Amino acid sequence: MIFRIFRKELLDTLRDRRTLMTMLVIPILVFPITLNVFMEISNSFQESASAQTMKIGIVGDQSERYTKQLNAIPAAVGPKKIIVFKDSVALRKAIEADQIQLGLLIPANEKQLGVQQQTVTLNWLLDASEVGRAERAELYSTTLKANAEAERLQKLGLRPEQIRPLVVNTVNCASDKKMVGQLAGGFLPYVFIAFGFIGCMYPAIDLFTGEKERGTIETLLTVPVLRWKILIGKMMVVVCSGMLAASCALAGLFISIEFLDLTDNKELLGIIHSILTPYFILSMFALLFPLVIFFAGLMIPIAIYAKSFKEAQSIITPLNIVVVLPSMVGFFPGVALDLNTVFIPVINVVLATKELIAGTLSLGYFLSVFGIMCSLAFLAIAISYKQFGKEANILS
Amino acid sequence: MIKAAHLRKEFELNRQQRKELNTNDTLATAVEDISFECQPGRVFSLLGPNGAGKTTTLRMLSTILTPTAGSIEIAGIDAVKYPQEARKHIGFLTGSTGLYARLTPLEIIDYFADLYQVAAKEKEERKAYLFDLLNMNDFLHKRIGKLSTGMKQKVSICRTMIHDPSVVIFDEPTSGLDVITAENIIKLIRSCKDQGKTVIFSSHIMSEVDLLCDDLAIVHKGQLKYNGTMPDFRTNMLANNLTEEFIRIVQTPTPLA
Repeated sequence: MIFRIFRKELLDTLRDRRTLMTMLVIPILVFPITLNVFMEISNSFQESASAQTMKIGIVGDQSERYTKQLNAIPAAVGPKKIIVFKDSVALRKAIEADQIQLGLLIPANEKQLGVQQQTVTLNWLLDASEVGRAERAELYSTTLKANAEAERLQKLGLRPEQIRPLVVNTVNCASDKKMVGQLAGGFLPYVFIAFGFIGCMYPAIDLFTGEKERGTIETLLTVPVLRWKILIGKMMVVVCSGMLAASCALAGLFISIEFLDLTDNKELLGIIHSILTPYFILSMFALLFPLVIFFAGLMIPIAIYAKSFKEAQSIITPLNIVVVLPSMVGFFPGVALDLNTVFIPVINVVLATKELIAGTLSLGYFLSVFGIMCSLAFLAIAISYKQFGKEANILS
Repeated sequence: MIKAAHLRKEFELNRQQRKELNTNDTLATAVEDISFECQPGRVFSLLGPNGAGKTTTLRMLSTILTPTAGSIEIAGIDAVKYPQEARKHIGFLTGSTGLYARLTPLEIIDYFADLYQVAAKEKEERKAYLFDLLNMNDFLHKRIGKLSTGMKQKVSICRTMIHDPSVVIFDEPTSGLDVITAENIIKLIRSCKDQGKTVIFSSHIMSEVDLLCDDLAIVHKGQLKYNGTMPDFRTNMLANNLTEEFIRIVQTPTPLA
């Protein structure tokens, strides 16, 4: 009988355009569309920035030493035009008026400092709020510094090793998979949780508050089916909807990575493919499933209590923030799954998923998170059952 | 058969309800010591003004609500102790059609037949019989949201009767319906009576009661004001017509029956 109720409620839900939008269409399209738009904008900014001719104003380059060095930098870095200015005030004004994009200030005693083998300090003037200018200045600086160092070493008759007695390197022993897990692993559970919650929302309101509002609950309660069976049948649809929305969001994300050429880095794509194994997907669903039941169990008592669709929506929508905000904990470095965080719902699933991606999740912690979320899901079902049994709640 | 004895229903009042009712009481009594019997093959009418306790009484009979005190027997089953069993014998219909707008009539009827655990063969026979009887075949595959009020009412009737209940409970069944649509309900009540079913319906329209009922109970403010047969009611009435007599009884402070 539970399955019969589930079948009917699922059919009813799948015919609701609003639910279909939040359950299937938005989750599937949100990533391909937003990432595509983001990539297009980002590419167009980069292209226009690299195609832009940088006008470089120079003050104090009496021997044209730096002008020559800058001119020698290949045009592939970006086209440039060098203009000589008499003083820094005029140069600054030209930058403020955007007539000049970069200004190079060379000290008046530059030649003397060079002869005395002192340090020469050059200053770049630029408008840092404009995209690409600081990066271009940094690029030019690297060349100028390298040239100056080589020239000084030659004068002194030294090899670079003679003034660099020690080189200290850091060797990263973490696997690429672990690095991806730690740096970007917070994103996946965030997506899953946010869409899992949103996916539950409309069906929960529609199947409980909506049924009260439309007056169909009264006839449903006269049928010879136990109330807990009616509740479970409806709850199964809410959970399915949440799982479907989360899965669609992941599918959308996968489509974006595979088909939108988000990155040319084949190594990174290889790591992503190595993460998305059937074992990983099954484990993630195992963690998500009780979490979505927990979400459904949070929403259903509210939906049962509320007298109208609007009232239910006004209570559940702020709950969205309360649930989704903790799921952002995965973005912060240093927060790990331990004996404290394992007991905090939502956060435990985020951190466990993050470790699952990195390949560092122990079986003990996996089972602990799963067990704790199953207990909370069971508690949520019990609360829903209690609310559904209250006469005052089910009849408006 | 329906036997209701000393029915009482109290509701807990929340803070907002206490404020609205301007009371400090935590409980409100909707029905107080109501007893009556409805016989098979007879139509019993529960008459009373708005807020009299009719709907609460019928919801208790249909096992949606549990009485605070008293007993209910439906088709020989203790409906308070065994509500699941009692529900198998009850058909419940309200004025608001209470249908799922995104489903078709056929899907709804199938759903309720399954919930009532009607056997597959019997289900097909009942469906064929009721669809023909109610002229529903033309709109079986249209969504409820696209049907007229009359069509929806037919679907509601079909849903109520799909499991061939021996007790049929109508809560203000013609409320908000036009004359032609209401006629379907009147026909249904008469047909149920002819088939020997126990019928109880609530109303606040005296003419409707006069047209249909064999036995009558008048409730007001949760209390029973009259309980007897319709011929007795007519014989003993002191006012000029049925409506005036109903008003007189309701306004009389002490119970008459």
